[in-house]
Amino acid sequence: MKGDKFINKLKEKITVKDVSRMPEEQITITVDRADLPEAVRMLYYDMGGWLSTMVPNDERAINGNYVLYYAISMEGGKMTPEDELPPEDKCWITVKAYIPAHDPTYPSVTCKVPAAVWYEREAYDMFGLVAVGLPDPRRLMLSDDWPDGLYPLRKDAMEYNYRPDPVDHADEPDYDFMHPEGSGTLDIPLGPLHITSDEPGHFRLYCDGDTIIDADYRLFYQHRGMEKLAENRMSYDQMAFLAERVCGICGYAHATACIEAAERAIDMEIPRRAQAIRIINQEIERLHSHMLNIGLACEVTGNINAFMHIFRIREYSMELAQLVSGGRKTYGNVVVGGMRRDISAKETKRGLELLDIMETQIKEVWEAVMEDDSQVSRWKGVGILDRQVARDFSAVGPNIRGSGFKRDTRYDHPYDFHDAIDFKVIVEDGGDVFARETVRYGELLQTISIIRQCFELMPSGSIVINHSKRIIPNAFALANNEAPRGENIHWIQHGNAHKVNRWRCRAATYNNWPSLRYQFRGNTIADAALIVCSMDPCYSCTDRTTLIDVKTGKSKILSHDELKRYAQTLKNHPMKNM
Amino acid sequence: MKLLDMTLKYGNATHDYPFSPYAVPEGFRGKPEYEYDLCIGCTACAVACPSNAMNVELNEAKDKLVWEFDCGRCIYCGRCDEVCPTGAIRLGQNFETAVRFNKEDLIETGELELEHCLKCNKAFTTKKLIAYCVQNFLKVGWTQEVIDEKTKYIQTCPECKKHDAAGLITDYKGARR
Repeated sequence: MKGDKFINKLKEKITVKDVSRMPEEQITITVDRADLPEAVRMLYYDMGGWLSTMVPNDERAINGNYVLYYAISMEGGKMTPEDELPPEDKCWITVKAYIPAHDPTYPSVTCKVPAAVWYEREAYDMFGLVAVGLPDPRRLMLSDDWPDGLYPLRKDAMEYNYRPDPVDHADEPDYDFMHPEGSGTLDIPLGPLHITSDEPGHFRLYCDGDTIIDADYRLFYQHRGMEKLAENRMSYDQMAFLAERVCGICGYAHATACIEAAERAIDMEIPRRAQAIRIINQEIERLHSHMLNIGLACEVTGNINAFMHIFRIREYSMELAQLVSGGRKTYGNVVVGGMRRDISAKETKRGLELLDIMETQIKEVWEAVMEDDSQVSRWKGVGILDRQVARDFSAVGPNIRGSGFKRDTRYDHPYDFHDAIDFKVIVEDGGDVFARETVRYGELLQTISIIRQCFELMPSGSIVINHSKRIIPNAFALANNEAPRGENIHWIQHGNAHKVNRWRCRAATYNNWPSLRYQFRGNTIADAALIVCSMDPCYSCTDRTTLIDVKTGKSKILSHDELKRYAQTLKNHPMKNM
Repeated sequence: MKLLDMTLKYGNATHDYPFSPYAVPEGFRGKPEYEYDLCIGCTACAVACPSNAMNVELNEAKDKLVWEFDCGRCIYCGRCDEVCPTGAIRLGQNFETAVRFNKEDLIETGELELEHCLKCNKAFTTKKLIAYCVQNFLKVGWTQEVIDEKTKYIQTCPECKKHDAAGLITDYKGARR
């Protein structure tokens, strides 16, 4: 059966206690917690796996333990074109380890597989599970003044609407930013709002003159506790709408991934027509998201004219979304078992017209941007994502495809209607901002072709199944989805009474953030905003900037506008008059 | 230069809105519109609403059932439209939902008369919901006798039904038919 050869290889070194499959291409193996790092390392580096997600779970009510699930997507290392598994071998292997409730520790996987770093930090924040040997055990998600010993996602810890009293501002503990050794570096905090996406996050850039030598960042200022909310109060009918609000741009991908995880856990097949409509909606989302990003990448380097044109074209994609779903941004049409809204022939006709308009105009504007040397030179060679770093941190989406990896979850683990559709995975080798934007442009054209194919091949029939299946308590599955920013993974474990026991939502950018630090290195301050922008973060940083000269101890606070102006014009360096 | 040529070619991309109305496509999910006359106070919308924008509760004096919609919480998913049995809530085309200074203006309410239990005289549902059920009984084609029995049955509150289950079964034979 699928995946057997990986498990046999694993068994040569490690005791595998239990193997289960549900659904067929998702294999769960249980190992002793002491074997966890080695098992994950072997799957990751020796057999070509990528860390898709890690789910800590409180199963004390079920079996008396905490449980860790490391979900590894087996698709080949992809460092060379040959280094890829054939489609029939691609699968997910989830390494499961029990952690006894009286001793919530486990050996850290991060020492062997760096990609696990954020997941293990989160496991401590949310469940109090300690990864022994974790190189970076600082808090990740919870705020610095969150009470010690209160782990929100433990089932008995708190109600979803409990808010601990905030600590007085003066007593608030400082976050311990990493700091490079040596003198002469400048410490530049960027934050708490980002220039391009106006979302919260705090960056420290350590500079030598104008060059960034290292960076550290603090995110999750907007952590909303959605997972807890869904577990406590929502039914599946309501959860899709909550999941759609995970992200302001690529929310629909979350809604489908969340609902598909629930469907896969009980092996529910949805009608082909519903699958095709889901794909259409997802691809429309990719259209407007990629145009937004290319537009912003122009704007942040001062090319307002191109930005305006791209946003003008983007309006057609919003119109298309409005046409087929009834909403510009939140499509709100996914339910367990299918869709809520069908697409009519009239809508299809107008949709195809809009696609034609977009296709011509996108080509036109991209051609114009490519002829602009000053624009292209701002993108080329900036923010290079090293191939080994990308491999180590399991980066996803256009971010990794710009570094020459053929990694797209629509291609590796086709879902829904994708098996009937032809499309090309766009890969560029540069690894810089230019490569990532080129990937996005190529994907725009692919996306238009995918939507067109869906409209043309649209199967007839019902869009929702008859309600005959019931959820099975404690059954779990993960669902994948290629959002505009990369692969989203949702993991769902069913509970009782039409409710979810554990929902783990892993947004694409979660896998991209840890490698950003390496992308910053060697670039200039003016490019910092562009680099973050080209990664297309779901939420991020930099509105106000403090510059600190470590030698003299002087510091300066820059406004949003000042830094933005400098990034756009490259004139009047912000540290000139310090 | 090419970008400037494009600007000339495609001209003005903006709309006249708000000086002239902005047309939205058919099937646009706008603000839910409430038809008081059709509402029977069944609370289906309040149960379905994912964001708790709709609530149905007794008023302070406990003599009216109040249907309340807070547009500020609404996510325009249209679940209320989907579950409403009488079509009292329909999504409209209105997307202009801003209010000036006063958030209370976002709230819409409808008060419904209460029905009292035949046995304990406690208010437990709305008169309109009972009327709606009786109307549906007429469509089934039962004899008047059966309809009367069933009407009595539904005019009893759930608690009395529970406490007096055996008695009710003998009293209202029609309820089991």
